[in-house]
Amino acid sequence: MSHFLDRLKYFNRIKSTYSKGHGIVTEEDRGWEDTYRNRWRHDKVVRSTHGVNCTGGCSWQIFVKNGLVSYEMQQTDYPRTREDLPNHEPRGCQRGASFSWYLYSPHRIKYPLIRGRLLDLYRSERSSGKDPVESWEAIQSDKEKRDSYVGVRGLGGFARSTWDEVVEITAAANVYTIKKYGPDRIYGFSPIPAMSMISYAAGSRYLSMIGAGVGSFYDWYCDLPPSSPQVWGEQTDVPESADWYNSKYIIVCGANLPMTRTPDAHFAVESRYNGTKVVSMAPDYAEYVKFADLWMPVKQGTDAAAFMAMGHVALKEFHVDKQDPYFAEYARSFTDFPMQVILEEVNGKMVTGRFLRASDFDNNMGEDNNPEWKTVVFDSKSGSFVAPNGSIGFRWGEEGKWNILEQAAGNEIEAELSCIDSKDAVVDVTFPHFNPEEGDSIVRKIPVRKLKLANGDEVMVTSVCDLQISQYGIDRGLGDNLATSYDDDTVPYTPAWAAKITGVPAADLEKTGREFADNASKTRGKSMVILGAAITHWYHTDMHYRGIMNLLHICGCVGQSGGGWAHYVGQEKLRPQAGWAPIAFGLDWQRPPRHMASTTYWYFHTDQWRYERVEADNLLASTAKAKYRGNQLADYNVAAQRMGWTPSIPQFDQNPLELAKEAEDAGATDEAAVSKYVAEKLQKGDLNFAYEDIDAEENFPRNLFVWRSNLIGSSSKGHEYFLKHLLGAQNGVLTEGTEGKACKEVKWHEKAPTGKLDLMVDINFRLNSTGAYSDIVLPTATWYEKADLNTTDMHPFVHPLGKAVDPAWEARSDWQIFKTIAKKFSELSEKHLGTVKDVVSLPMQHDTAAAMAQPFGEVKDWKKGECDIIPGKTAPFFKVVERDYPNTYAKYIALGPLMKKLGNNIKGIDWNTDHEVDELAECNGTIKEEGISKGMPSLAEDIHVCDAVMRMAPETNGEVAHKSWSGQSKKTGISHSHLYEGRREEKITYRDIVAQPRKIITAPTWSGIESEEVSYNACYTNLHEKIPLRTVTGRAQFYMDHEWMLDFGEGFAAYKPALDTKSTITIPEDVKKKPHLKLNWITPHSKWGIHSTYQDNLRMLTLFRGGPYFWISEEDAQSIGLVDNDWVEAVNANGATMARVVVSQRVPNGMALMYHAQEKNVNVPGSPSTGKRGGILNAVTRTVPKPTHMIGGYGQFAYSFNYYGPIGSNRDEYVVVHKVDQNVDWLERELTPEREKKKNPPGINN
Amino acid sequence: MSLENFLFGVYPYIAGVVFILGSWIRFDREQYTWKADSSQLLGNKGMVLASNLFHIGVLGIFFGHAAGMLLPHSWWQLVATDVQHQYIAIYAGMVFGGLAAIGAALLFYRRMTNDRVKSVSRFRDNFVIFWLLATALLGLNTISGSMHHAADGDVTIMLTLAEYVKSIATLSVDPSLLAGVPHTYKLHMLFGMTLFLVFPFTRLVHVWSVPLTYLMRPYQIVRRKRMRTN
Repeated sequence: MSHFLDRLKYFNRIKSTYSKGHGIVTEEDRGWEDTYRNRWRHDKVVRSTHGVNCTGGCSWQIFVKNGLVSYEMQQTDYPRTREDLPNHEPRGCQRGASFSWYLYSPHRIKYPLIRGRLLDLYRSERSSGKDPVESWEAIQSDKEKRDSYVGVRGLGGFARSTWDEVVEITAAANVYTIKKYGPDRIYGFSPIPAMSMISYAAGSRYLSMIGAGVGSFYDWYCDLPPSSPQVWGEQTDVPESADWYNSKYIIVCGANLPMTRTPDAHFAVESRYNGTKVVSMAPDYAEYVKFADLWMPVKQGTDAAAFMAMGHVALKEFHVDKQDPYFAEYARSFTDFPMQVILEEVNGKMVTGRFLRASDFDNNMGEDNNPEWKTVVFDSKSGSFVAPNGSIGFRWGEEGKWNILEQAAGNEIEAELSCIDSKDAVVDVTFPHFNPEEGDSIVRKIPVRKLKLANGDEVMVTSVCDLQISQYGIDRGLGDNLATSYDDDTVPYTPAWAAKITGVPAADLEKTGREFADNASKTRGKSMVILGAAITHWYHTDMHYRGIMNLLHICGCVGQSGGGWAHYVGQEKLRPQAGWAPIAFGLDWQRPPRHMASTTYWYFHTDQWRYERVEADNLLASTAKAKYRGNQLADYNVAAQRMGWTPSIPQFDQNPLELAKEAEDAGATDEAAVSKYVAEKLQKGDLNFAYEDIDAEENFPRNLFVWRSNLIGSSSKGHEYFLKHLLGAQNGVLTEGTEGKACKEVKWHEKAPTGKLDLMVDINFRLNSTGAYSDIVLPTATWYEKADLNTTDMHPFVHPLGKAVDPAWEARSDWQIFKTIAKKFSELSEKHLGTVKDVVSLPMQHDTAAAMAQPFGEVKDWKKGECDIIPGKTAPFFKVVERDYPNTYAKYIALGPLMKKLGNNIKGIDWNTDHEVDELAECNGTIKEEGISKGMPSLAEDIHVCDAVMRMAPETNGEVAHKSWSGQSKKTGISHSHLYEGRREEKITYRDIVAQPRKIITAPTWSGIESEEVSYNACYTNLHEKIPLRTVTGRAQFYMDHEWMLDFGEGFAAYKPALDTKSTITIPEDVKKKPHLKLNWITPHSKWGIHSTYQDNLRMLTLFRGGPYFWISEEDAQSIGLVDNDWVEAVNANGATMARVVVSQRVPNGMALMYHAQEKNVNVPGSPSTGKRGGILNAVTRTVPKPTHMIGGYGQFAYSFNYYGPIGSNRDEYVVVHKVDQNVDWLERELTPEREKKKNPPGINN
Repeated sequence: MSLENFLFGVYPYIAGVVFILGSWIRFDREQYTWKADSSQLLGNKGMVLASNLFHIGVLGIFFGHAAGMLLPHSWWQLVATDVQHQYIAIYAGMVFGGLAAIGAALLFYRRMTNDRVKSVSRFRDNFVIFWLLATALLGLNTISGSMHHAADGDVTIMLTLAEYVKSIATLSVDPSLLAGVPHTYKLHMLFGMTLFLVFPFTRLVHVWSVPLTYLMRPYQIVRRKRMRTN
């Protein structure tokens, strides 16, 4: 009753004793226990997960008490795995477990916010009687007014507003921009749909409907390994984590399993219990090193050399010294090893040219359908050249022969790997080489056959296998005295040679290469390489990756359960992609959408190209034909755009709506005529691609939507350039930027534009750096406040995000936010836009016949007069799309008519989807409002959208699996029905996955299968179902014959040293005078955050330094007098970052290791060099695009969203680190007009 | 009522009632606030000295006052003359008061200057250490007067004060007893009484819960579930 009165009963406290008085029994009040009981007591439990880019996809229980989320805990009810496999759970990590803190934290965005100055301007325009669009126009056309709010981005000053008002402003800005500049001047950026796909779809649907650009992220994040499209024609496909358990030998390279794959890491441990050998490669003593039997401390950025050396050992011992029968069979049918390559003379040297094709033979070898696209092998059965099934030429225009059965023209064949025993001659072939001390080429003796082509040319041909063996430096007794021993460190790619470069002992490389191959030979391919961001985020990542892929292909591992390539870098798998894409890009109402390669977009629009210090010429191979010699990297990109390879948003220097109208006025009545009109206008030079004058006002990006993303605080490689040119904010760019003047294709403006964006809208639940620089910030629902879907490639389950509580304060789900914007936009567009036509330029797309636009990989540039401009062949397609703007809302909330009219498709397989649309009308109900969408299935509510996605996807609807697989069978001529048969009746709905995560159904969207026998593994169906890879040859390619690939020396994998970005040439004089270090800037994923999420969470901050930090080695620290926890600055030409230094034995000398995405919002002081707040991890980086990533129109080198495009690499960067005054400046001062005006660092004028 | 009467006739009871009832209510209703609120985790520098000086001093002062004021005068007379009694009071007060004042000064300084401690300090934390320091200093301030009294062999003031304290304790308070007492003593007394007033609202409540019984507790305690019998 009363604690106090209880105390008064002191003498009566002991009720009895026991154990001779050592124990007593009391009846004290135990009410205090209820406090602890109540801590864990709750009213309900709801299943959800974290829509964060970690690929975890963990099922969580969210506990709700008194209407508030009280805590979360790992859910442990996953469906079973196979009997011989460990279970999946528990999944989850310390970061996810801390998420509920955000819901009620000071970071939470509670109300719609808007930059105060903008709000004042808008209100005053509105009160003067103007309508919303006119008001926006009035602000934009008055430079002083515009500058007043643009110039204070990032400096606070937000005011709370209402949904009605901010949505009106946003919609008005969109309408004005479309009218004045064109819809392609609006852009949306949001990453990784798989983590919350309905939220992603909300923005992309709205933007696609109004004709805005939607930006890629996978390439921009540098998580895309372009080598995967290059080698397999596959964006990325990887084994689920359970498959690690099936492996017998694993090399882990740059993927920190316990730290970044926390919920999956147990499979790696269990695999070791199961007898698997694990070898780790990491420059630092990373957590995963502790898993390993052997640690190979490879110098960062030299992984290609290490893997080439292991490939050297495997190739020599298992293909050359003796031929392993399994490896031979695998190489013959699954790789391009037997494909014949024509040798050609360039600059007086014999080099590798293009693949031999059916079209090179008389009568096209009887292959009249696409003979230029059918590659050729030498058949040892018939003793002749044949065009085997499965190359891209068989994919389009005919049926039943697109498979990798060992057949050609209906006959069984056995493709010859090497002609060494029946060669006509041996010739010297020159290969490009890039190790600076060893010259720019290596010459190898190659066995060849001589051949007369149909056109009369006498050529020499040889197999990829013969070329590859020699390029690896393996001596075959052909007289070129190559490495006879592994200890020969003068021949590139021997273990001893690689030891010099990588720092790994040659004996370890040799042993690992041998063991890896030996294990694969004995287990039929159960050797695996798990690789991660540490080797992906490099400019020459392709070489690292292809070094690994080569090893795997040499050893027959790719496509085998327990084997292959396990790339775990931001690769979340959007399992029900086929059902999602139509909704996400509004394909149910209009096609095509405007997709953009974001690296190109940001490189140009943030004017990083103006500061480009890397010269493309220096990247060219010694063997290059180099038609574009003298061009800059930006020039390559512009050329790639006009040749229809890679997209261009904005498209032209003209509003595409005006262009369509102009074409119509000129008599163009249909798409073909409009397309012709546009092509002619381009040819005449009356119309130009926007990127040719990207700094012209009419080509600025005007409105930017960022949702589910932290573009500015996390992924903005070249952060300070974003601040300066895109946003017009205070920035730390430390050079003037005159290098871009050398560009030939891009017009130079002496004065660089700043503040290009009229409006940036951030949609988020927490106020991060992106919000801080935005003009409008909209409060969105957290992952515990909305219905959504989440999938990953780490496990085969579909997860829900569940609404445990209503969105707090004024937050709304993303789907509802864009619905609201769409509604207002529709209203405003009645008066200002109406229904109009839009010309959409579209690059030649992967998985369509247009990927066969440009045969032989020859580059023909219409602008240089090398060919005519033919849309879809030598230039982009020009499509006409009707924009019924006032009906945007009506379309947004309903599943549109094209799903019935045109059906659905994925990977080039089409199917009818009538039945599913009808079912959805029943399941979701239909739209009742009068208008164009009346009677159509509703997408008005979040759960409707979830169910629509799942109903239309083969992974979650067995009937759709049947339809799509039947389509696949038509192409391959092989029945695949056994893959899904048992589950054809299944339909997974949102309510099902709320009850328990569900395993997906095997679909042709992916290359692995769900089965009782094997775990999901990449390329499994390619190997076992004989479905070709989507490359030119239909096989995994060691060799690429596109002209630009050869120009840049990437026909074969080779070791290329890290790129010299030349960023440390320019550093402030003050820094030069002080003790300083030049360190490689390495930015791995964090232990206390997932990118920028969680790292500002109190619980995670408490676990380490509570603010920005980076690691350097003890010796480096001593050399400039640093002690642990000192404040330091990392600075280079791009900007500066402030942090505390962690001095540790963990990292090797020469490296500064800053955990990725520590952003500006917690404890970041001012930088002495820039005078501005001390940056983020990317304040010292800058994007450098790579021309080979822009190739298109050629088989697997064809554009598709997030499939191909330049990557935003950042690990080649160096910084200068020095100690700063420990009494750091927090810049906590009033904003004075002088301070506001001073946007650049001292001494920077442009 | 004169101010004198209020301060020395009523105020002691207000302070006493707030002290007792306040402690009771807080103990019953706010169990999770019943703690010493130690900040030693945030900054341990100099705490061995400061905290020990303060606590030893304060405990000595507390028991010294209790012994000097509340024990019957006759008991004292059995062991010491009145002048000796006065000297004992003076020297004990000087030593323990000095310890307490130095300790409190150090703690006060730390609370005002240590960033980490400062940022967790609430008003009451700052106030209570200030008040303790002030009270101790005011107590020391009476020593010179007492010295004179002792030297003169005049112990009236001491005895009067003891009589006054006893009059409070026996609920027959007589403020007129203090008529001839110098203000230095009165001020110290007012500060002292105020300590009791603020006691339940500060960390001082931990005084009630010194875990002395812990020294004697058995190894195991079974806290039986209370049976409800109604």
